[in-house]
Amino acid sequence: MNKQMALFLAHSAELETEAQERYEELAESMREHRNIPVADFFRRMVDEAGRHLEEVAELAADMTLPDLKAWEFDWPDAEAPETTSYEALHYRMSLRQAMQLALDNERAARAYYSDYADNCEDVETAEVARSFAAEESSHVAELERLMAEQPADHPHLWEEDDDPHMPE
Amino acid sequence: MMQAIPLKARDFKSDVKPIWCPGCGHFSVLNAITKAMAALGIDKDDTVLVSGIGCSSRLPAYVDSYGFHGVHGRGLAIAQGLKVARPDLTVLALGGDGDGFSIGGNHFIHACRRNVNMTYIAMDNEVYGMTKGQASPTTPMDWDHSKLTPHGPGVRPFKPAALALASGAPWIGRGYSGNPNQIAKLIAEAVEFPGFSFLHVMSQCITFCPEQTDWKAVVSEMDGPPLADADAAAKQFLHEDGFQTGLLYREERPTWPPVGETAVDETALASLAASFSV
Ligand SMILES: Cc1ncc(C[n+]2csc(CCOP(=O)(O)OP(=O)(O)O)c2C)c(N)n1
Ligand code: SF4
Repeated sequence: MNKQMALFLAHSAELETEAQERYEELAESMREHRNIPVADFFRRMVDEAGRHLEEVAELAADMTLPDLKAWEFDWPDAEAPETTSYEALHYRMSLRQAMQLALDNERAARAYYSDYADNCEDVETAEVARSFAAEESSHVAELERLMAEQPADHPHLWEEDDDPHMPE
Repeated sequence: MMQAIPLKARDFKSDVKPIWCPGCGHFSVLNAITKAMAALGIDKDDTVLVSGIGCSSRLPAYVDSYGFHGVHGRGLAIAQGLKVARPDLTVLALGGDGDGFSIGGNHFIHACRRNVNMTYIAMDNEVYGMTKGQASPTTPMDWDHSKLTPHGPGVRPFKPAALALASGAPWIGRGYSGNPNQIAKLIAEAVEFPGFSFLHVMSQCITFCPEQTDWKAVVSEMDGPPLADADAAAKQFLHEDGFQTGLLYREERPTWPPVGETAVDETALASLAASFSV
């Protein structure tokens, strides 16, 4: 068995699983807070990540992937590259801001796969990593197209009548 | 008890959907707990999460295990009682800085001193999130975002790690909500530690303290093994900036129930219950 490939696919599967589960969490919490357009967008991203996860699973069908714990994966940052970080979220965020987050995630995933391909000694694994990078590129292009169609954000987007800073 | 089919982190999430604000750091702790449970191969039926009151204290409802959403500040008292009565269970107590260091402060210091074999996770956002952003014991002196403390609380904030050390906690760790994988690792280590393990998590309140997103730029990871010398740890915990993460301190000392003693003394339990009957 190609050990390098198995390690790479374990990372790819985790990357897509983490992306999918975080989008799902965000879709649910945006729905709870009645931000339906953003909830629907994150739900769409759940399906996107799910499709890529299926492709990884297909490639790994005849392999035994290493069983790594959440903290044993080797990521360039604290979390897997396509996982939306908690810092930039707000229940009143616009669809445009949500798309920007997703775009940043796709770009991070593309950079991860292409760096992997550049630094991997196993030719077969490098080839798969490059094909994943190309796929992420197509997601980047699609999100850039969608964002170009979005109107600019209202300057006081996050303000509201019922300001949360209200203890008197 | 280990289960035959390994469960994944998501299998430990319940069907109840969190109502936390999107971006709340408590989501990260929830993710970390489920990842740690999956990694440890913990049996859901032998695990209990106990909390007090607060946004953070809602967490047990979101985990598919046994849970107890207790009274404000009393999660630790309930959890210790449970562990002493049922040493076979894995018991985790959790809550916020208001819950654990204000109204529950007395329970906190005595839990550190008693050293019951369980884990306590304090999800610290330096504010009372649930009641709309009042100052807590860990709020910076000059934090003036609440109309109740327009010039800041004006008193020095608690240093939870120093307080835990001075009260006798033998295991002290710190995590940050921007790094759920590190929190998961710390929780797994805390649960396996034979004694009272205190995990302090810097968990941002995006709604009342949006400036906490800046924590990402200042957190660091502790180099090397945890301190084992209380003098050195005291010096560090009193003078540090509070943003160093990792397992900070570890010391072995006798715990309750004694290591290896997990059987329930049914007779003692029955006679205790009988003594309360009217
Ligand atoms: C006995 C009692 N006193 C006061 C309250 C009101 N109260 C509810 S939650 C809370 C503080 C919560 O803050 P914290 O524990 O830091 O959790 P967070 O909401 O920030 O996660 C207070 C004072 C209460 N529920 N019960
Ligand atoms: S108020 Fe703060 S602590 Fe409560 S759910 Fe919202 S972000 Fe989290």
